[in-house]
Amino acid sequence: MKILMLGWEYPPHIAGGLGTACQGLTWALAEQGVSIHFVVPQLFGNERAGHMLLTDQMRRAASPQGDEQQPTRRHASFETTRIPAFLQPYWSPGQFHAAVQDSRKAQSHGRAAARKDDRVARALIDGEVYGVDLISALYREDFYPEVSRPYGEDIFREVERFTGNVISRISSEEFDVIHSHDWMTFPAGVALSQLTGKPLVVHVHSLERDRSGLFVNEQIDQIERFGVESADRVIVVSHYTKRMLEEHHGISGDKVAVIHNGVYPRQAVQDYRLKKTWPRHVVLFLGRVTFQKGPGYFVDIASRVIPNIPDVLFVMAGSGDMLSGIIDRVEELHLQNHFLFPGFIQGEELEEMFSIADLYVMPSVSEPFGIAALEAISFETPVIISKQSGVAEVLEHALKADFWDVDRMADMIINALLHEELRQELVCKAREEVRKLHWDAAAQKTIAVYQDVAP
Amino acid sequence: MPAVCLYFQVHQPFRLRKFSFFEAGSGADYFDHSLDELVMKRAAERCYLPANQVLLDQVSRLGGSMKVAFSITGTAIEQMRLYAPEALDSFKALAETGHVEFLGETYFHSLASLFSLPEFRRQVELHRALIEAEFRQAPRVFRNTELLSSEEIAREAKSMGFSALVAEGAEQVLGWRSPNGVFESADAKLPLILRNYRLSDDIAFRFSSGDGPGRPLTAASFARRLSMLPPDTDSVGLFVDYETFGEHYASNSTVLTFLAELPEALLAQSGWSFVRPSELATRSVRRDTLPLSSVSSWADEAKDASAWTGNSLQQSCLARLYALEPKVLVAGDEGLLEAWRRLQTSDHFYYMSTKSGGDGSVHSYFSPFGSPYEAFIAFMNVVRDLEQKLG
Repeated sequence: MKILMLGWEYPPHIAGGLGTACQGLTWALAEQGVSIHFVVPQLFGNERAGHMLLTDQMRRAASPQGDEQQPTRRHASFETTRIPAFLQPYWSPGQFHAAVQDSRKAQSHGRAAARKDDRVARALIDGEVYGVDLISALYREDFYPEVSRPYGEDIFREVERFTGNVISRISSEEFDVIHSHDWMTFPAGVALSQLTGKPLVVHVHSLERDRSGLFVNEQIDQIERFGVESADRVIVVSHYTKRMLEEHHGISGDKVAVIHNGVYPRQAVQDYRLKKTWPRHVVLFLGRVTFQKGPGYFVDIASRVIPNIPDVLFVMAGSGDMLSGIIDRVEELHLQNHFLFPGFIQGEELEEMFSIADLYVMPSVSEPFGIAALEAISFETPVIISKQSGVAEVLEHALKADFWDVDRMADMIINALLHEELRQELVCKAREEVRKLHWDAAAQKTIAVYQDVAP
Repeated sequence: MPAVCLYFQVHQPFRLRKFSFFEAGSGADYFDHSLDELVMKRAAERCYLPANQVLLDQVSRLGGSMKVAFSITGTAIEQMRLYAPEALDSFKALAETGHVEFLGETYFHSLASLFSLPEFRRQVELHRALIEAEFRQAPRVFRNTELLSSEEIAREAKSMGFSALVAEGAEQVLGWRSPNGVFESADAKLPLILRNYRLSDDIAFRFSSGDGPGRPLTAASFARRLSMLPPDTDSVGLFVDYETFGEHYASNSTVLTFLAELPEALLAQSGWSFVRPSELATRSVRRDTLPLSSVSSWADEAKDASAWTGNSLQQSCLARLYALEPKVLVAGDEGLLEAWRRLQTSDHFYYMSTKSGGDGSVHSYFSPFGSPYEAFIAFMNVVRDLEQKLG
């Protein structure tokens, strides 16, 4: 079976759990004989993806399958091509109709008309293809050459660019199923599905409502709904997310499959453990410093722990819109001697941080899954997770509390730091548990979904 | 002539609240009295009252041919006094028939036999005094918490004047032997009354609503199985939690019917009768001597002490708790002494078990905590508070 996968990031260059999840899932799928072409907006040159074809949106492959040019760091010199003015991030039916009319007119005397394809015309008439001039996209090789960092200043422009490039460069490839990861790739997935008639599986790793709390971006929310409504099947990472889809988007549970993330066991932990020379207890927060992740609660929790555990150090690794506010808050509370803000960390630094931490705390307000908790355990670090997380569904051997219950979280942290036996027992049992949360199981369930849509 | 020795365990712990680290020194109560009240009232209504009525009816119908024994912990009796005095009255009514025997154990259903023999003896004496006061009979046979048994425990029981010890008929104790008779502990020379765990577990676990061969268990089929035991069977120890009858199973299950029909069904089998534990102890025939070389119990697959002492969480809590013994005894504060003893109840450590599989699900069924780790945290917070109070 050939799967065309559309993603937004791939390790080691990741902004969140999405890339890690895509890596784990594709490894396991490939082992089970699934052939994958994975497309991301951009590659950085140090990705290792021998198990599949990994390309950027210009279809340049990552090593070791670099049959074309060796991918390099991004070229700032790429020419920017503006998106045609009539393209909007999301089209209402009326706008869409008008656009179709326009493009038909254009077709009749444009160069596209010469290569007119029934499929394309049909897709345009039937479909609500988000944000992209399909005709132009299909026939212009250099349509959107610029690539910039994920989650750029104008995410919508990035998404449109990605959609356009995917259509122009990827739609002619052979595949049986399109598998689209999170809203940024949904428009491309839907467009491709409409163009090719291939079934679309969308994979929801998180929802706008999880990420933004009260300040939901309506556009993103609509794209998410458009994606899950258009898809043949929807994969979600937790029952928690399935409920959100049902409640907020009115999606019938029948087309939704819950497939929990997995984790790969680590081998290199011991090396870091030996390096553990920090004289203090380390409590780790890792993730975007933004409302969804509950960084404010983390500070509240810390303020309760510090008077009782004098040698504790709270590490907040990550960046985000709340970071400067959080740093101010820590100074206001005179807790700066107990806090470290290393910023966004990745790769070896990240592994080392996981390893030296005594505890990983995830006080998320809303967490569709929370794969970092499994990562922490694979580095032998016990975890305290909020009950409002998908990972709480699969992890029995963790300390769990409501994100708002800061006294309870602080109680748990204090006891875990005071009692090594508690940390040991948690980690030892959680590791057994995590071994069973192997990606193989997730891959098997994913293949079942593929077989369902493309028998 | 083969006989069935029926014994029912009645126990309720004083459950801990989710006592927070930040409550230490605040004078807050350790225990969740409203939860205890809820559980006791439910147990009384679903089990103690209806099942006692079934037994009272049988005794009045069958007279001395119906015999049964109870072991009721001090904490359960205290909670009956507080929340279900009518249940205590119905146990007293059973005692007054003269056909019901009460066994000795530790007042607090504790693990003191493993951690402090002086404290163990004090709790056994407290329990003996309570049983004499409530039921006007002195316990003669000893049953330790969850049938925890060893030569040392047998020696202690003997020295306190008990005529026999109830123990689990576990393979590690019996080897190839059948449990269906009275044995003697090799070192302490105390008669041993063994639980036939296969037949006892049939009663304890086979009333679930699921279908399957032999489900639900009927008194007639159970009595037939007993009658088919080998001809050398002397006595069969059927020991179960009393809460099996109506509490662990939904009240609409057939378990109370089973209890009601069992005596007649058994007595209909030729030669079979009921026997009380203390009567077994005086029988002169001993099957064999058994060395209780390691600690056995009726809990979990392992049938040892690992249900309460198997992981480092449990060991750490037990060590901290028993380390307080000298201080709490000289402090002269009755409230602190009682709290310290209530903390010794085995249930607290049972909740901290991190065993997986079937054992694990039984542990979590009984636990008021979200996880073994939360049970540990609450317990440690309480112990820390107690340590502060003791200075």
